[in-house]
Amino acid sequence: MNDRQSRPMIEIEGLHKYFGALHVLQGIDLSVAAGEVVCIIGPSGSGKSTLLRCINHLEVAQQGRIRIDGEIAYRDEVGGVFRAHSNRAVSAVRAQVGMVFQHFNLFPHLTIIGNLMEAPVHVLRRSRAEARRRGMELLAQVGLAEKADSYPEELSGGQQQRAAIARALAMDPKAMMFDEATSALDPELIAEVLAVMRDLAGRGMTMLVVTHEMNFARQVASRVIFMDHGRIVEQGNPAAIFASPREARTQDFLRTVLER
Amino acid sequence: MIELFNVDVAVENFGPLLAGLMMTIALTFVVIILSLVGALLVALAGMSRITPLRWVIKGYIEVIRGTPLLLQLIYIYYVLPEIGIRLASFTAGAIALTLNYSAYISEVYRGGIQAIPAGQHDAAAALGMTRGLAMRRIILPQAIRIIIPTLGNYFIGLFKDTALCSVVSIQEVVFTAQIIAAQNFQYFTLYTVVALMYFAVSFPAARLVGHLERVTRAGYRRRHP
Repeated sequence: MNDRQSRPMIEIEGLHKYFGALHVLQGIDLSVAAGEVVCIIGPSGSGKSTLLRCINHLEVAQQGRIRIDGEIAYRDEVGGVFRAHSNRAVSAVRAQVGMVFQHFNLFPHLTIIGNLMEAPVHVLRRSRAEARRRGMELLAQVGLAEKADSYPEELSGGQQQRAAIARALAMDPKAMMFDEATSALDPELIAEVLAVMRDLAGRGMTMLVVTHEMNFARQVASRVIFMDHGRIVEQGNPAAIFASPREARTQDFLRTVLER
Repeated sequence: MIELFNVDVAVENFGPLLAGLMMTIALTFVVIILSLVGALLVALAGMSRITPLRWVIKGYIEVIRGTPLLLQLIYIYYVLPEIGIRLASFTAGAIALTLNYSAYISEVYRGGIQAIPAGQHDAAAALGMTRGLAMRRIILPQAIRIIIPTLGNYFIGLFKDTALCSVVSIQEVVFTAQIIAAQNFQYFTLYTVVALMYFAVSFPAARLVGHLERVTRAGYRRRHP
């Protein structure tokens, strides 16, 4: 669509993932360009979350190739399987891609600003002062500046998720992944999190978003992907996917979720 | 046998018995420190990805749990010299108690570590933390908070278990009372004083543990002045 989308940030080729006999990802090919916002929709159990977790190596795919910003991640150039890299090398790749979880997963024993400072100080070796300055900046960006010294459990679900987004941003990631970031929230708290995500998209962040929020996908995504049974069934710009889906499975799914 | 409790005898022997109590407390603290560290190493090794290491740890824990502490003490003090390892009584007692308590407490650590939700590991990993860093900065601080009351109860148990060290002639409070009683036969007075001494330490300690239990259960909150 525009020139900043030329460089691929996340590239996936032929990704297969099994849980025992269950073939969860059946050959995923996907490329997310810099600045692109890709929303993945689909029924539960279709492998959407597993795909994100494989990109961050929280799950280990059995076959395929993942590149983050052009670099092959989590395996040797020559090796056929995902095993070769050390703990430290895997961690270094992960640090480049931010992840936001359904259940926030803030660290309950640290204050909000402590949550934001933890990885920049101990992984990126930034000074505490620098990490705090950047952390406060990000908390202001997500509207939580006054909650810096609170503990996570003192915050509402929506505030916790906004803090979790800020925590991921504190690592200055090249891309952000959202794994059903609003699914655990009460309906009245969903909007504030989506607003933060929308703002982030507007700032040009590369985003890969697994979501059930069809309006968000329709309005914010540069591309929508429909997944079912471990495969990408259909993809295209949101107008095309929502207005005139080609595949019968996409039509069925959209009819079900949009009729609610 | 007109009066069972002889106040004069109690007063006269209070000094030596108090010295014995101090030895009991010293032994308790030495073993607390050693087993807090030892148990953590055992717990981490028991969760290691190296299978033979896990087996060794499993075997050690089962042997400790399957034999009496008294026998472990006797073994280290009386049997090891036969293969040339001669230990001072305090050292032997401290080693036996540390080996014993490290095994039990490692299971407490393990339970605490496993009680931390998988999402905490995921979040730490996604932020680029290595396993070791995540364990040190994210998992252990939360796990230790959960297990503090349980550890407290174990250490009160340890304080009382040190009495078994009288069999390896550590001059702790029970052994001291035995020595004095062998000379003046004032069993009732001497052992009542010893019982009161144990109670005077363990009762407040139990109250402290109860307090810690309430504090740790309250959750993480900002302290408003």
